[in-house]
Amino acid sequence: MTGKTGVAGPAQARPLPVQATPEPQAAPPPARRGMTLRAKFHRDRALLLMTVPAVLLLTVFHYLPLLGNVVAFMDYDQWAGDSAVEAIVNSPFIGFTNFAELFEDSQFWDALRNTLTLTAFQLVFFFPLPIALAILLNSVLSPRLRGFIQTVVYLPHFFSWVLVVTFFVQMLGGAGLLATVLRDNGMEPWNIMGNPDTFILLVSTQGLWKDVGWGTIIFLAALTAIDQSLYEAAASDGATRWRRLWHVTLPGLRPVVVLLLILQLGNALTVGFEQFYLQREAVGRQAAEVLDTYVYYLGLATQDYGVGTAAGLFKAVIGLFLILIANRLARRFGEEGVFVRS
Amino acid sequence: MDNPLAGAAANRRSFLSLMGLGAIAVAGGGTLAGCGEKAANEGTAQQVDQLSAVLPKYQPLELVQPDIKGVSPVANGFTKYPASLVDAITEKPGRGSTITTMTPYWGQVPAGPGQNAYLDAINAELGAVVTPGIQDGNTYADKLNAILPARDIPDVLCIPSWEIPKIPNFSEAVKALFEDLSDHLAGDKVKPYAMLANLPTVAWSNAIWNQRLMAVPWPTDGPYPWALFYRKDITDVLGAAVPKTAEELYQFGKKVTSPDKGVWAFNNILAMVEMIFRVPGAKEGWRYKDGKVEFKYETAEFKAALEFMARLYKEGLVHPEVVASKGADAKLLFSSGKIVMVQDGVGSWLGVQAEQQKVTQGFNMQPVPYFAADGGQPLVHGSGDPIFYTFVKKGLPKEKIAEILGVLNFAAAPLGTKEFELIEYGVEGKHFTRGEGGWPQGTDLQAKEKADQFRFLAGTAPTIKYDARVPTYVNDLINWENAAVGFLEKDPWSGIKIEMPAGYVKVKQPTEDKITDIARGRRPLSDLDVVLKEWRDGGGEEGRTFLAKALSDAGR
Repeated sequence: MTGKTGVAGPAQARPLPVQATPEPQAAPPPARRGMTLRAKFHRDRALLLMTVPAVLLLTVFHYLPLLGNVVAFMDYDQWAGDSAVEAIVNSPFIGFTNFAELFEDSQFWDALRNTLTLTAFQLVFFFPLPIALAILLNSVLSPRLRGFIQTVVYLPHFFSWVLVVTFFVQMLGGAGLLATVLRDNGMEPWNIMGNPDTFILLVSTQGLWKDVGWGTIIFLAALTAIDQSLYEAAASDGATRWRRLWHVTLPGLRPVVVLLLILQLGNALTVGFEQFYLQREAVGRQAAEVLDTYVYYLGLATQDYGVGTAAGLFKAVIGLFLILIANRLARRFGEEGVFVRS
Repeated sequence: MDNPLAGAAANRRSFLSLMGLGAIAVAGGGTLAGCGEKAANEGTAQQVDQLSAVLPKYQPLELVQPDIKGVSPVANGFTKYPASLVDAITEKPGRGSTITTMTPYWGQVPAGPGQNAYLDAINAELGAVVTPGIQDGNTYADKLNAILPARDIPDVLCIPSWEIPKIPNFSEAVKALFEDLSDHLAGDKVKPYAMLANLPTVAWSNAIWNQRLMAVPWPTDGPYPWALFYRKDITDVLGAAVPKTAEELYQFGKKVTSPDKGVWAFNNILAMVEMIFRVPGAKEGWRYKDGKVEFKYETAEFKAALEFMARLYKEGLVHPEVVASKGADAKLLFSSGKIVMVQDGVGSWLGVQAEQQKVTQGFNMQPVPYFAADGGQPLVHGSGDPIFYTFVKKGLPKEKIAEILGVLNFAAAPLGTKEFELIEYGVEGKHFTRGEGGWPQGTDLQAKEKADQFRFLAGTAPTIKYDARVPTYVNDLINWENAAVGFLEKDPWSGIKIEMPAGYVKVKQPTEDKITDIARGRRPLSDLDVVLKEWRDGGGEEGRTFLAKALSDAGR
């Protein structure tokens, strides 16, 4: 439905290979010229074999469903014909009518605005926090203590959103721990869970609590890849802790930070569904409608798949452009970026 | 629609060939002609009360005399267990086929055939392997919205009636997915299925789509969708009287709410508040008054109800967890005494009472008798429409359909038969023991293995029967239900099966969001006029025109 193609935000990203080890360049690859395709296949057969499962997975769950995007240009009637494929064949093409319908809907723009505001807010105020936490954790010397803290902060990542929201309700809600303590001390608890004006802060905090630990994994790996001798050299030159952080640690992390930032931008229009669906009535549609809930209520709940798919496609195309732009900018500033055009 | 991008549509053929779908474009060529516009679903209205030809012939089967009479449409009550049981179905309906089913359940999902003695015992009697696929009843609509368009359906599918309006173009889905049962059950053809012939005709007439009989109905045993339940054990201690007017309801809320003790009065009771203020409820909120078709949002009654609900929220009488998250479980909060009065389905009564009295000493849950805001004659929403519909997958071989209908017939066997006892309670000695008056009493194994796998496939002719866990239940329920029958709202569209136009369905959720904003105090009550205008322009007017036409077409 959403044209999300295997690009995940920093929170869900798999630990990517972080940085080429600073060893001297390995022996140059065997001469390429003169090798037949067959020979190349033969040489790389083990590697190719290993990529087969991933390719299959991508094909079946990402590339084949992509074909369904054609519905965005149709007046799709899922009951036309005897199967889903026949329904697609039998449904008439209507050009960009679905998109026109989408762009004429003021609710769509509300949802888009909410989504963008949230992304921008989280990018500025919350994206740096996993980095800070990783640096902090990295400075904990006792491996046992570090492992313990890591486990504790990773754990919420595996909770479902229902659980996370319930946890916040139990802590900060009107019948929760905080409210009870305040009442016991003769104070009137204030409304945290149901205030549309501070909702952005609430959902970001929930997201942070859930995923900040998970987000540190990649940064921790990057930190271990920084050459220790740089620290030693800096220290012997009289650099303070802060100086070392500023001149050694952060530059060492920069490629990873840029990489994750680019991936995050690709997901700019995806802020999640359940979290907003669950809390929608508490703060109202105005505050809690994001693109994913909009697609659900418009496309799925009323089975207007054409418009729903159009919204999903729109999201994916914007995401793609953001990635391309960010990647180009990153490369212009001398970074590796996500990919290189060969 | 004014479409600034219409020019691009002309290139659709090149677009298709670009996608490598040229062959498909040719195949679908005929349909490409009328391009650029969407065909809007304009809704359907059919007068099912004039389609008697496809209905099965009613053949009543009276095995047991009722002990308490229900006033129609309330079912009769049975307090004495029949002394001897009839073996109603002597021939095994099955021929050894595997039959997959899907039913809702609100609780733990038990093991499947081979690991479940309850299932295996029934399957042995049936001579078939019924393999249940149980889905969470709370999210059943989501599941349906996934499997129906994918056409990935089991042989037998149970769909609760309240989920059907959530599925747009349902009659089209029915046509594409389910077997037409008219040829199997109409008129005298129902004869081999004596238990199905025992189901009331009014229930069958609701199972008609596109002028054909498409499902087996699960007849309702009581017409009321909602009730207010209160914790009598708590209110007796607090000295809070059961409310009889809106003002008393408010005072009740004030009296029992005590945040210091973690106790609040209500969950979201808007549906009941609407009823109390006599807001129309037919076809989800329509009425025909003084020659005009009106929706509830347009009435003064609704405005008063909304104002009242907003007051409950404003004064903090609704439990904060219910306010904060959709994930909150009002039933659980009510059971644990954190909510004193809850709006819930009538069907929840027996289960909550039976389970919670084991945990809480003296737990006593009672329904509030229906009342009106001003203390006058109440208006009670409700209908005699079936609770579930059971559909059979289209295109199965004729023998298998007969086999499936035989299974449904078995499940529909009424109280007084051996089949009923097996379906309802399981095997004696394993799943139940004989309690007082011969009534079966469930064992732990029954609780573990039975999830109404068969009961939700086919209902019996309506009965309300004694339950050993809550001996007073039959009397309490029927007396309470009988008292309200006279106040039931008349549905001007009764006997007409309505499927609302798509434009109207689309405006529903956005409008409900705005109404929620007003109820929760995020927008002033005066905004209701704005909301109303947006609703009318957005599709509400289309709904009115449609319903008015349905009435005049029916000559009413």
